[in-house]
Amino acid sequence: MAPGANGIVLEARDLRKAFGGVHAVDGCSFAIPRGKICGLIGPNGSGKTTTFNLLTGVAQPDGGQVLHNGVDIAGLKPHLVFRRGITRTFQITRVFREMTVLENMLSATGLDVPERVARERAGELIALVKLSHLRGEYGGRLSYGQQKLLEFARALMTDPDVILLDEPAAGVNRTLLQHLLEQIHRLQEAGKTILIVEHDMNVIMNHCERIFVMDYGVKIAEGPPSEIQGDERVTEAYFGRRRSGVVHAG
Amino acid sequence: MTQREHLRNLALLGLLALVLAVLPSGLSVYLLSFAMFTMMYVVLALSWNIISGFTGYTSFGHVAFYGIGAYACAILVVDHSWPWLPTLVMAALVAGLVAVAIGYPVLRLKGPYFAIAMLGMAEGTRVVATVWDGLTHGGVGISFPSVENSTSTYYAMLALMLITIAVAYLVAHSRFGIRLNAIREDEVAAEAIGINVTRYKLVAFVLSAIFPAVAGGIQAYKVLYIEPQAVFFVQITIAMALMSMLGGKGTVIGPVIGAVLLYTAQELTWVNFPTAHLIAYGLFIIVVARFMPRGLIGFAIDRGWVRKGMVH
Repeated sequence: MAPGANGIVLEARDLRKAFGGVHAVDGCSFAIPRGKICGLIGPNGSGKTTTFNLLTGVAQPDGGQVLHNGVDIAGLKPHLVFRRGITRTFQITRVFREMTVLENMLSATGLDVPERVARERAGELIALVKLSHLRGEYGGRLSYGQQKLLEFARALMTDPDVILLDEPAAGVNRTLLQHLLEQIHRLQEAGKTILIVEHDMNVIMNHCERIFVMDYGVKIAEGPPSEIQGDERVTEAYFGRRRSGVVHAG
Repeated sequence: MTQREHLRNLALLGLLALVLAVLPSGLSVYLLSFAMFTMMYVVLALSWNIISGFTGYTSFGHVAFYGIGAYACAILVVDHSWPWLPTLVMAALVAGLVAVAIGYPVLRLKGPYFAIAMLGMAEGTRVVATVWDGLTHGGVGISFPSVENSTSTYYAMLALMLITIAVAYLVAHSRFGIRLNAIREDEVAAEAIGINVTRYKLVAFVLSAIFPAVAGGIQAYKVLYIEPQAVFFVQITIAMALMSMLGGKGTVIGPVIGAVLLYTAQELTWVNFPTAHLIAYGLFIIVVARFMPRGLIGFAIDRGWVRKGMVH
């Protein structure tokens, strides 16, 4: 796949989305460099999940562009966005509850992929997220953390190019989280680009190379963790105005 | 499911075919017709299950396709002097086309809205059949010339049932079927993992429409008379749904078992308690809904007697 200009794989340009009178995303722009782990943070209601939905076709933008490798994909249907190699997980897990772990995995491959290949890949990924012993169990019977892992594994079934993770750490215990983060780094080593929405600042500050901060539907800051931690606008957005301060980890 | 299990199931289906093929020689006319109608309900329940069980779009109007098939057959045989068998192909074709035309807009609706829209669709086709005198002979219905038909309709229904079971089985155990299940479970997530939900739903809907249409055509030729009230009877839709739910919707064997049990129960209560049969029937449904909300197969799965999932 041809890389976009300047090594940018996914870019939001002046994205806008309003729900009634609420401007959830209000002219948001940022560019995600290829092969990086990036974080998207902001207080509750700042428009992070809506931005995710706009990037992946789950919601249609009122205005602006989404460029994937330089091609505008704004307004494309979710299954077509997915087919371009952009995959995602959801804030509240959306595993298929009355389908087994294996079926959850197999549902994510196109019918053009031979069944044998799909099964092999499903098996590998299920092992990767340590769910092999539960492959015949219903998705809805897994613990919340396991459901997060299943959804993560399912999103990787087609070997995507860009992976958007909406709060991967929420509800996942420390051991599983550590494992999940290792997998994320491994994906990066394999050349994937990852964007994480997360409230757990440990995850964001220790694992992301570039952070975008949103508030009231716009990007208010951008930079490496060291810069973001000292950025007054970010502190203000999270804690209100004060003389000086940092975003505390945790 | 392993290769061996598939082969075993194929062998079982072959055995069933063989038994049912030799059965008519030993049966009275009443039992032959009872067997034919049982097979018809297996077809109807399994078809309903493709869109409502596998895909999660509960249809309250599936009798429309059955009625359309019955009318396609009757009109072609009586008014256009077609031989009977080819009209069944036309019945499937017409129902398939109607399913595409109706499905495209209606499958955008979800849950109860889809169910109600389908109910309206079925009532609408009944009204059309009643008032369109020129095509359907209106409310007086259509009578076929009298022929000996018990054996031919029995074998036609047997063939249709075997095909329907085979198709439902293939769908259930394929990734196409898994993806229909994904739509049932969570349509937003299904789209997000690359499933073109509009297309998948439409294919499932068309599949679920064509078999009832053929069944309608066979049934019309069996009873030799059709009228709108009879072939667009809402209770036929309800039977499809109840049978699937009793056996276990979303499975293949569930609707088959449900159809056989419920049709037999209905026939027995009807024969033995002509005045009270609806009460008995209703009680039966309440008991099932209370103690086996996911049907017999769901009941068995919950107790670990049957493995979870369609693909292993």
